[in-house]
Amino acid sequence: MGIDVTVTIGGAAGQGIQTVGELLASVCHKGGLFILATNDFESRIRGGHSFMQLRISDEPVAAPSDRNHLLVALNRETFDIHADAMLEGGRILMASDGGPDTENPLADNVVNVGFTRLAKDAGGKIMANTVAAGAVLGMLGAPSGLLYKVLQERFAAKSAGLLENNQKAGRMGRDAVADTAFEWRFDWPERSPRGRLLSGAQALALGALAADCRVAAFYPMSPATGIMIHLIAFMDRFPLVVEQAEGEIGAINMVVGASFAGVRAMTATSGGGFSLMTEGIGLAGITETPVVAINAQRPGPATGLPTRTAQGDLNFVIHAAQDEFPRFVLAPRNLDEAFASVIRAFHLAEKYQVPVIILVDQYFTDSLAITAQEWTAPETIERFLTPDSEMADPSAYKRFAITESGVSPRAVPCAGKARVMVTANEHNEEGHLSETIADRNGQVNKRNLKLVKMAGEINGPETYYGDSRLLLVGWGSTDGVLREAVERLQRENYDVGAVTFCDIWPFPTNQAKSSLSGCEQFLTVELNGSSQLGGLIRQHTGMPAHETIVQYDGRPLLTGRVVEQVKQYLEVAR
Amino acid sequence: MTYLSLYHNDFENKWCPGCGNFGILNAVKSALAQLSLPPEEVLLISGIGQAAKTPHFLNCNFFHGLHGRALPVATGAKLANQDLNILVHMGDGDCYGEGGNHLLAAMRRNLDVTLLVHNNMVYGLTKGQASPTSEHGFATKAQPFGAISDAMNPIALALSQGVGFIARGYCGEKDHLSRLIQAGMEYPGFSLIDILQVCVSFNPVNTYAYYNQRIYLLEEAQHPTEDWHAAMDLAWQWGEQIPVGLIYKKKTTPFTKRIKTLENGPLIHRSHAPAAIQKALDNG
Repeated sequence: MGIDVTVTIGGAAGQGIQTVGELLASVCHKGGLFILATNDFESRIRGGHSFMQLRISDEPVAAPSDRNHLLVALNRETFDIHADAMLEGGRILMASDGGPDTENPLADNVVNVGFTRLAKDAGGKIMANTVAAGAVLGMLGAPSGLLYKVLQERFAAKSAGLLENNQKAGRMGRDAVADTAFEWRFDWPERSPRGRLLSGAQALALGALAADCRVAAFYPMSPATGIMIHLIAFMDRFPLVVEQAEGEIGAINMVVGASFAGVRAMTATSGGGFSLMTEGIGLAGITETPVVAINAQRPGPATGLPTRTAQGDLNFVIHAAQDEFPRFVLAPRNLDEAFASVIRAFHLAEKYQVPVIILVDQYFTDSLAITAQEWTAPETIERFLTPDSEMADPSAYKRFAITESGVSPRAVPCAGKARVMVTANEHNEEGHLSETIADRNGQVNKRNLKLVKMAGEINGPETYYGDSRLLLVGWGSTDGVLREAVERLQRENYDVGAVTFCDIWPFPTNQAKSSLSGCEQFLTVELNGSSQLGGLIRQHTGMPAHETIVQYDGRPLLTGRVVEQVKQYLEVAR
Repeated sequence: MTYLSLYHNDFENKWCPGCGNFGILNAVKSALAQLSLPPEEVLLISGIGQAAKTPHFLNCNFFHGLHGRALPVATGAKLANQDLNILVHMGDGDCYGEGGNHLLAAMRRNLDVTLLVHNNMVYGLTKGQASPTSEHGFATKAQPFGAISDAMNPIALALSQGVGFIARGYCGEKDHLSRLIQAGMEYPGFSLIDILQVCVSFNPVNTYAYYNQRIYLLEEAQHPTEDWHAAMDLAWQWGEQIPVGLIYKKKTTPFTKRIKTLENGPLIHRSHAPAAIQKALDNG
């Protein structure tokens, strides 16, 4: 990377950290740069300590950074917490009150900007965020026109005065640091935006829109709420209803009801809500009703760490609900794959009449990044429904007819002469409850038969330097960190590669085997305590990981930590 | 003209002989035939319990789901297709116990379905435990010293929450119940029909004889159904005199009429618009 600068904005919740961060992200995007903006906040509305980190580059950014070039400290606490991560020569823009003592070794790196004082001069202290953004962009050497353009898009529709004042505030921020040297100031590429700037939550919502999802039901729960908030925005223009349910149990049952009645339907929640939904997932399983459920993971159990990240629910979602029934579990690794995974999830759910669970996490849903691919809405949506006209005798329709593939023709209730009869009890082919051995075995076998073709839908893991002697194995959103770690290790002549999974269930046994069979050793890297993917790999392939790197502190995985642990491992192994 | 016989099916019924559910089943069949609804245009949604098995003994579409969860399933189905004729069958434990939160939400939404609660004041499927509507002191194997809690009052609850169609039926008055169900299905909005149901196996208190001596029909008593306060008085009338019939009715706006997106017709009939979706994708 030519440019690789990290800016952190920290303060108390409610101080506008995200406003500053989003302004900066938009400016960088507009300037043709790549960014990854991660959010770290406590579960509170006011106070505490929150921060947003922007890693800015002229090449795609896959992972957060553990070093800071520039810190915007909206309060003293931010300085104290982040001082250790400052690179030598890094700068700290302080809100004027309460900077460090002159004896502090970083005292010379501090610039008191007085965001609020300048904002008042510009027309109101609410514009302190714009002052801060202006100051950061000044430090980074951004062309001044870029911030103006972003402000124009944001405020033009509101009032001319507001736009003017914000532009003034941005200029004052820039002027305040005009004489401050900054080692990492860079030349901005004069080029058009690369890809699109989106959060993980937005990517998932756009995927649902593209998949022609028509009903979504949810109960608010961090970090999944954002997905539904973004989807709701389309309710006025599309045949889509997003309903806030009375609870997660209500939400999943609404989704089952809507899908049964003939439209594509989904829900999104986090682990606690998913726990409440498990019986409903089982209902979808036995009634063979297609549903899509997103679980945005956070650390648990129970309330756990509500605003933090984890990969602790893999075993849970694979097994959620009593007994056995087929399902898919997809864990997209980046924005593009998340968008595509939602479209794929709806397709697979309807093709096989099974629940599809999409596993993401707080780090992914709350981060902003730049897409790499063009996003295309499918031209046609295959619904896999059987109307009366395709039945020999609609009045003899059997919802759970035994077929060679295990998938029975699916009709919609009240759409014709065919009567659709469905029960959560075990049932006969017609859909009436039955306890005969023949019906029980027949229906269990029929449902499980689907797994044969479902396995064929699964994509194997991706490999990166896949023929290396040592492979790092992970899944979902840590993909970017693993790639960057491998890149760094390769540069230092370590023979290390990576293997990362998106499709996890049905488990891609053969693909996993072939990806791992060439290496001498592999290490799993996961944000849970027991290395759940490692367990699955061992269970299905018989290949045990040689070591696991696990983290369950709720914080995003960092490249530096992976690199260090790998080096330590190789040191010991030697 | 729809013939009653179209609703018959030969699926083996497993209710106890003399069960109050038979009266309710016959009233439902008769109501659907009277409304001239052919079986393929009716959707029955139920929870879990002896009441929730009702759909299996008719000939129509049904979704027999989880304990307590019939109303959210019905909510989802209505969102997908607001034209569906939905009857929800639940028992007292199913609806007022396990599904209590969903009942409150359905009342607030004014979900346009007809909810039939087969209220026998006892758990039948699990063989005789006290239910939310069992009277205080009601003794069972699980409550040998009598139910500690007081019985809930579903009629008063519905009134307090502004429900626009509230009635009480009785399984022993089949024709009367059939008329209530017809009126409920014709009502635009949430209609609750709490049905006094005899359980011949597990409730030795609230028997046919018990009800036959006590019930009186509101239609004959000339009760003013638009008077909320009079309705609330009736809701608390129990003991020597038990009112049965339409207790309260007012005009309301149903759930699916409150959602702007649905003004352009049922979601299931709306066409897929990839160009518009692509445009929205491109504009973020």
